[in-house]
Amino acid sequence: MAVDRVALASAPAGERVDASLETAFANAPAVYVATRRRMSMNGWATLLVFLPPALLLFTIFVALPMVEAGWYSFFNWNGFGRPEKFIGLKNYVWVSTNPAFTRALINNGLIIVASLLVQLPLALGVALLIAGRMTGAVWFRMIFFLPYILADVAAGLIWRFMLDGKIGLPAIVTSLLGLQPFYLLGSTDWAFTAVLIVILWKYFGFHMMLYIAGLQGIEREMLEAAEMDGAKPFQRFWHITLPLLGPMIRLSIFFSVVGALQLFDIIVPLTGGGPFDTTHTMVSFLYYFGITRMRVGFGSAVGVVLFVICVTFAFGYRRLFMRDD
Amino acid sequence: MTDVVHDHRPSGRRMRGLAAIAAFAALLVLAVAVLLPIGLTALNGFKALGELQTHPFTLPRVWIWNNYWDILTSLRYWQVLGNSLLIAALTVFLTLAVSSMAAFTFAHLRFFGDRFLLSYMMLGLLFPVATAILPLFIKIRDLGLLDSYWGIVLPQVAFSLAMSILLLRVAFKQLPTELLDAAMMDGCGYFRYFFFITLPLSGPVLSTVAIISFVGSWNGYLLPLVVLNSESRYPWTLGLMAYQGQYTTSWQLVLAFITLTILPAILIFLLAQRYIVAGLTAGAVKA
Amino acid sequence: MSLRHLALAAVCAVAFSAAAFADTTVTMLHVSEDKNAQALWDQIAKDYEAAHPGVKVEVKYLENEAFKAKLPTMLQADESRPSLFYSWGGGVMEAQAKAGFLKDVSADVAGVEANMAPTAVDAIKVDGKAVGVPFDQGVVSFFYNKKLFEKAGVKAAEIKSWDDLLAAVKKLKAAGITPISVGAGEKWPMHFYYSYLVMRIGGEHALADAKAGKDAGFKSATFVEAGKRLRELAALEPFQAGYLTTKHAESTGIFGDGKAAMELMGEWFIGMQAPSSASGKGQPEEDIGIFSFPIVQGGKGKATDTLGGVNGFLVTKTAPKEAVDFLNFFSQEKYAKEAAEKGAYIPAYKGSDAWVKDPLVKQVAAELAATTYHQNFFDQDLGPSVGRVINDVSVAVAAGQTTPEAAAAAIQDAWDQQ
Repeated sequence: MAVDRVALASAPAGERVDASLETAFANAPAVYVATRRRMSMNGWATLLVFLPPALLLFTIFVALPMVEAGWYSFFNWNGFGRPEKFIGLKNYVWVSTNPAFTRALINNGLIIVASLLVQLPLALGVALLIAGRMTGAVWFRMIFFLPYILADVAAGLIWRFMLDGKIGLPAIVTSLLGLQPFYLLGSTDWAFTAVLIVILWKYFGFHMMLYIAGLQGIEREMLEAAEMDGAKPFQRFWHITLPLLGPMIRLSIFFSVVGALQLFDIIVPLTGGGPFDTTHTMVSFLYYFGITRMRVGFGSAVGVVLFVICVTFAFGYRRLFMRDD
Repeated sequence: MTDVVHDHRPSGRRMRGLAAIAAFAALLVLAVAVLLPIGLTALNGFKALGELQTHPFTLPRVWIWNNYWDILTSLRYWQVLGNSLLIAALTVFLTLAVSSMAAFTFAHLRFFGDRFLLSYMMLGLLFPVATAILPLFIKIRDLGLLDSYWGIVLPQVAFSLAMSILLLRVAFKQLPTELLDAAMMDGCGYFRYFFFITLPLSGPVLSTVAIISFVGSWNGYLLPLVVLNSESRYPWTLGLMAYQGQYTTSWQLVLAFITLTILPAILIFLLAQRYIVAGLTAGAVKA
Repeated sequence: MSLRHLALAAVCAVAFSAAAFADTTVTMLHVSEDKNAQALWDQIAKDYEAAHPGVKVEVKYLENEAFKAKLPTMLQADESRPSLFYSWGGGVMEAQAKAGFLKDVSADVAGVEANMAPTAVDAIKVDGKAVGVPFDQGVVSFFYNKKLFEKAGVKAAEIKSWDDLLAAVKKLKAAGITPISVGAGEKWPMHFYYSYLVMRIGGEHALADAKAGKDAGFKSATFVEAGKRLRELAALEPFQAGYLTTKHAESTGIFGDGKAAMELMGEWFIGMQAPSSASGKGQPEEDIGIFSFPIVQGGKGKATDTLGGVNGFLVTKTAPKEAVDFLNFFSQEKYAKEAAEKGAYIPAYKGSDAWVKDPLVKQVAAELAATTYHQNFFDQDLGPSVGRVINDVSVAVAAGQTTPEAAAAAIQDAWDQQ
């Protein structure tokens, strides 16, 4: 097969596959290769063996429960026995008129904004520093990934102590400045900012790992060639690294937004949604106002609303940004 | 093969002089900030409850080694750890097997409804598990899987399929097509290609899926709680309950216990470390 | 038949006959408690097994939140449903009964219940039918630090009315002492104030009337007034700094360290204040006193009306008859006496205050024994949904985040949405 290997090596990575296609096509049109081919017998056999397990597991344990949970949203049900009190869309009305839910919605939005503006750039910056061959790079990677591994119950507990007004970091600051103790997690104005900091701490390592992977996939020769041509570090970053990281960044944003919308585990031990329901996310709202209050139908309604938001985002995003995925 | 398979060696030159020192210092500060909460978790495990609640930042006035020692020498610690490990290992293995097969079909085979099915499976990322726990419980019960490890493993695998398939599919797609064509022309079917070419070359991304899957299973609490009845099968997240009374919780023991349970997760991470970073390379760069 | 066949047949015969005398298993689900209590119950289980061969008793413990999270699913499946389980009574118990999960055991437990306090027995009934057996009762009272009171010149015996309490708070503040510690971070400690105020203002029928929708239900003057009084107290700033984020255990520790003069809490407080304190030692018991929640001038409630938990064990519909038998066995006076002597709780028996050894618990038990009306915790009685709302609004009203009227309306809304 006549494939132009030089063209392969020097073409921008994102289009490498296509370049080989075009080249191959140009050189040997009779041997047109497609990544996905028309189905042969062998193909069908593979399909019938490889796909069903995933489909089966997913349908039984994810899809069906999801649909049933959505069905519960039309009932007023406490979780015991079977749902009996059909109330139509009332749960949705109650959800939309609950001020704590509106606040939770806004909070989720703020988390997404903070992630995009602070967390991802931080992760990228750190990744740039330790993707290379610096001393202790491997140790740094492990350290920054550690918060992701730590169970939420511990993370929430420790951060609660760390942010305590009497004995935590705010106490150290206020005593240094000679001020009255400030109860950060009890402040309706500042508690959520504190929550954002904890979220940042917990998840930036995960995104950092994605970027490191992306960075390490960039051919050294390309950057070295550019350097030899006289490109400065910033120019190298802007014109080569960043575009090549594009796909990884888009994926990271996708995981980040979807993850932000589903965020729940850290809120419970940290603030429990307080003070006065100012730090809820939609899923923590679902948990506190739906599940612990034994209002399963109400909780399901929140779940459905969240699902609709997520689906809208997911499809819109993929259509706009990830067309080739 | 080397010029077709990517050069995974870290790119970027060693930074020189002042820039390097400044960068290192910045990273060190950040590392300390990141480690602080985790270090405190471990440290506070040595304190008495009262001291923990009033002085969580200082070194313990009295180092209560027994907090840790009692846990390490208790049968229950090793039992719950073993359970967690078993459940996580089964989850990881099954996730890798099922999702790699499915990802392979989505990557290479074109058939009616393939885009639809893929989107269908993506939906799994978008629904909070907490809502579906009651119907899920009923499914598990109807399948006779209550109070068994499989009752936990199978749903966990199902929920992680979406992300795994997404990552793996992209990874498989970016393996050079010449390989597939050459294999086809040599008469090698899809099965053999999958087992002998795709999987071996995707070691890195498979490890990535493995570690994500492992951490998710390791920290899982809600599912084991509703599925398991026998204390002998409890993973460590449920074993934690022993330290929580009706009105008080022995937080210092909780922290000590958690510190001891994070160690295996770290070990697995380090083991997979060789592949993790490079793994995500193959996985997502060529989107 | 050959020898081998005979042997096989013999083995089978033994196996099958063993199956014929198969053990009935009684499972009892309880909330995790301290080691001593659990040891006692495991012992009772063993005693029963010894007295009744062929019956196995399994006692399982789950942490509080885990217990509440898991119970709905456990009740759903026959194979996981326990025979007996712990309950705090109130709305959740009623919901469980309505869903058909509980058994009417009125006839079977009548013997045991004859000796139990009537308030306790009534609390474990749904529609007049006993669905289980009460286990213990509690009372919420004001615990105070005698030394700190002396220092500020406050006499506990003189705190009879709400205004007396406010005056005491002012005196304590003037002496530089934090008057009250409260774990408002968990919300339910604050709802004790609100509940008692409703009881003192509206009398013993206040809650029942509100539930029945009489006189605007929860929006009645009683509830609004209760909110106003709570705000009145909170406006004096009697609580420890940062009280909105303080957890319950921390709060008892603050009292234990002598940093606050009073705490309104249930009887389990006695066992908590020492281990939760920073010093680990807490306040010595002779330095702690109790007084009942004061009356409100012009209110219908008496000083002897009590608020407190009634806990018991409920019987599920598929429980074997051995389960009720075990329940009666478990509830025997001798075990209750033993538990009362060892632990900091008050068994549901008449005259149980005489069994209690701990002097402070004894005082609390005596208060309970003299009750004219015993009310279960509001957040239990009203069920999980309305209960949480009451917890939320109690804190919100105290902190001035919401008006007493809005709070009462919120409770009514939650009640209507059920």
